[in-house]
Amino acid sequence: MGKAKQQKAENVVPMTQPGPVSVIIVGAGFAGIGMAIKLKQAGITDFVILERDQRVGGTWRDNQYPGAACDIPSNLYSYSFAQNPQWSRAFSGAREILGYIDSMVDDFGLMPFIRFNTNVQGMHFDEQKGRWQLPCEDGTLWEGRSVVMASGPLANCSLPAIDGISGFAGKVIHSARWDHDYDFSGKKVAVIGTGASAVQIVPELVKQARHVTVFQRTPGWVLPRPDYRTPGWQRRLFDRFPAAQTAVREALFYGHESMALGLIWSSPLTRALEAFGRWHLRRQVKDRWMRRQLTPDYRLGCKRVLMSSDYYPALQRPNCKLVTWPIDRVSAQGICTAEGVEHRFDAIVCATGFEVSHQGTPYPVTGVGNRQLADDWSGGAQAYKSVNVAGYPNLFLTFGPNSGPGHNSALVYMESQLDYAVRGIEKILRENLRMLDVKPEVQARYNIGIQKRLAKTNWNSGCKSWYLTPDGFNATMYPGFATQYANQLRELKEKDYRLVPA
Amino acid sequence: MANIDLDKMLEKVKSSQWLLADIDWDAPGAEMISDEQRPKLTRFMSDLVWIEHVGARGFAAMAKNAPDDTLRQLYTYFHAEEQRHANAELALMRRWGMLEEGDIPVPNNSIRLSIEWLDRYADDLPYHVLGSVIPALEVALDGALCKFLLDEVSDPVCHDVFARINDDESRHLGVGFTVMEMQGHDKTLLDLVEMITPAVDLRVVLGLVVYWPLLNKMRDNVVAMGLPEEKLFGAMKKFEKIGGRTAAGRRNPFFRVISAHMKTVMDRDQLFYHVPVDLMVRLTDRIPRRLLPAVPSWVKELTAEPYA
Repeated sequence: MGKAKQQKAENVVPMTQPGPVSVIIVGAGFAGIGMAIKLKQAGITDFVILERDQRVGGTWRDNQYPGAACDIPSNLYSYSFAQNPQWSRAFSGAREILGYIDSMVDDFGLMPFIRFNTNVQGMHFDEQKGRWQLPCEDGTLWEGRSVVMASGPLANCSLPAIDGISGFAGKVIHSARWDHDYDFSGKKVAVIGTGASAVQIVPELVKQARHVTVFQRTPGWVLPRPDYRTPGWQRRLFDRFPAAQTAVREALFYGHESMALGLIWSSPLTRALEAFGRWHLRRQVKDRWMRRQLTPDYRLGCKRVLMSSDYYPALQRPNCKLVTWPIDRVSAQGICTAEGVEHRFDAIVCATGFEVSHQGTPYPVTGVGNRQLADDWSGGAQAYKSVNVAGYPNLFLTFGPNSGPGHNSALVYMESQLDYAVRGIEKILRENLRMLDVKPEVQARYNIGIQKRLAKTNWNSGCKSWYLTPDGFNATMYPGFATQYANQLRELKEKDYRLVPA
Repeated sequence: MANIDLDKMLEKVKSSQWLLADIDWDAPGAEMISDEQRPKLTRFMSDLVWIEHVGARGFAAMAKNAPDDTLRQLYTYFHAEEQRHANAELALMRRWGMLEEGDIPVPNNSIRLSIEWLDRYADDLPYHVLGSVIPALEVALDGALCKFLLDEVSDPVCHDVFARINDDESRHLGVGFTVMEMQGHDKTLLDLVEMITPAVDLRVVLGLVVYWPLLNKMRDNVVAMGLPEEKLFGAMKKFEKIGGRTAAGRRNPFFRVISAHMKTVMDRDQLFYHVPVDLMVRLTDRIPRRLLPAVPSWVKELTAEPYA
């Protein structure tokens, strides 16, 4: 990590006259770094990574709140081509994951490729030249034959839409923009939200703050998290025999894969997992009314399943209170709820997640014939196999539409996307193509199939979640096993694409 | 009142929220309660607080069983609003020197049994049953009691509080009657039988064992406080009048059953009903406190404090 930090300083000043490159990667998070490694391994070194921040890490750089950790075991929540034998826990914390990303930057010598403080403001495809042009906030204009949009679906956070929140006189902290200088000791704190971030923050906050009030709108399904400190012998074993780690990774992969049967589709396994969730609740929460408040009334899997063994105990600490009354507004001093009480606080922590882009794009993306991606996606984002979009040649998405797993590691899905993008980019370069553009009818057919399959999943079973648009369109999740997802991306079929030579 | 647009109603409910802090609890007027009124009023207010609180738990159960998201949200708000009413009434009691800081009134045995029954069974009860019982209780008990209180008490803060409470209650009733009509709409005889079948349940029978004496007990209590029985009966008639205004409303079998039952409650000559039920009231009153189950933790959420 040390070397990464040193090199960071050298790259803060952006190049003033960047020349055209083969590939532009937008974003230096997990996806962007993985893409760069894959390109290098394929012998493509004429690329650049544009990063808006001054540090790599993306989501894991931003989400450094107390207790932040992955909820897929680290041995699976990592790249198979960059395994880390030294994970300190089964489910590692955010700091360690960020360190892992840093170490990949070091190990694969990626620092010289990254342009920090370079905030992309738009993307425009020049059909004549067969090049993408990316104007940036600092005035630079980058040109590339292909672009990998690795800006991530969880990049932008927003305060919850509650009246008056901007007028709160105390401290407001968003989980994805943690203020590490704020001292919680002796403070009365509110936590809004009870999703994946909240179940990690609350157990840590109750240790620091004088009092914590958790405001819950909808309870999530919570399953125990089998976390443990990894023993020294395991680290030594993985270090010496990487095959052992690979074997564990495979076992974890297939273990999670089998969970799809309960999490994605409604099956007896779903019922069994629900019973397990209720057992976990009954075991940890003795009070009947509190159990009722914490029992979800929707099918398990519909929203993200939460993994925590210390959330329920934290809620029952004497200095913690769960409030389920509807929030009316935020006043200067606190949160007003419908039972008529103004709950007063020194600080409000918003663990309300991210703005997941279902329809818009983070910046204007202009394709063939001046078409706008935001317009094409106004009815819900659509792509071909989540990677390409018709009318936007030579553009590759990571974590694109319908690429989300509900049961397995996102990075497993990511690896397939990266390999697929490399295949496309290699083709453009090798065959000197001006445009590699997926055929619109192929994309349309693909999406009809996806939506038909999605209709039968738990995500579309009636609850509200960030997986769905307000109209209930699912542009987020992939309705199948990770194996199926990877299989469809194994080969880039030429007949699905319009190939225009330079 | 009936056939309201529930989505618009939800918006209206959201924009009509008020806080205990909106009321000046130290404003002059508390001295208008006479020493003669105080003991009776204390008992009356205690009952009122508990009826609101029991009603709140009923709405919580309805939120769990609501057929769609709009109704679920509406009932979630109504649950909180009934709690707010109970909180505001507690604050009034404190203002009038009837409660020490942090105290809540002791519920009578009938209330205790109702709380226990609601806590155990209400969530599993067919939605139609609660959907008809709650408006009946709101109109009959809430309506009559609040009106009586305002006739008796001239403290302007009390009037301010109940203007707000009644405003909320009018929305609760609007939704309640609309739902009752929706349930009776376009139903064939077979549908109606299907609607009733799940109500044939031991839990419902247990509920009646608690509910019948509760009504008679309340009747006795309010009469003891000087409320003319006719006023209570007038409020019960209102339920029959509004609920039975449309054919759809009248077709709802639960509305029919509850209306018929209310008529029986109002008619003191129906000895076959009143003799055993009054006996049940006396029996309930005699249950030693230590034999009653512990109050559930949601009861401890009551507060007269505007700030937390």
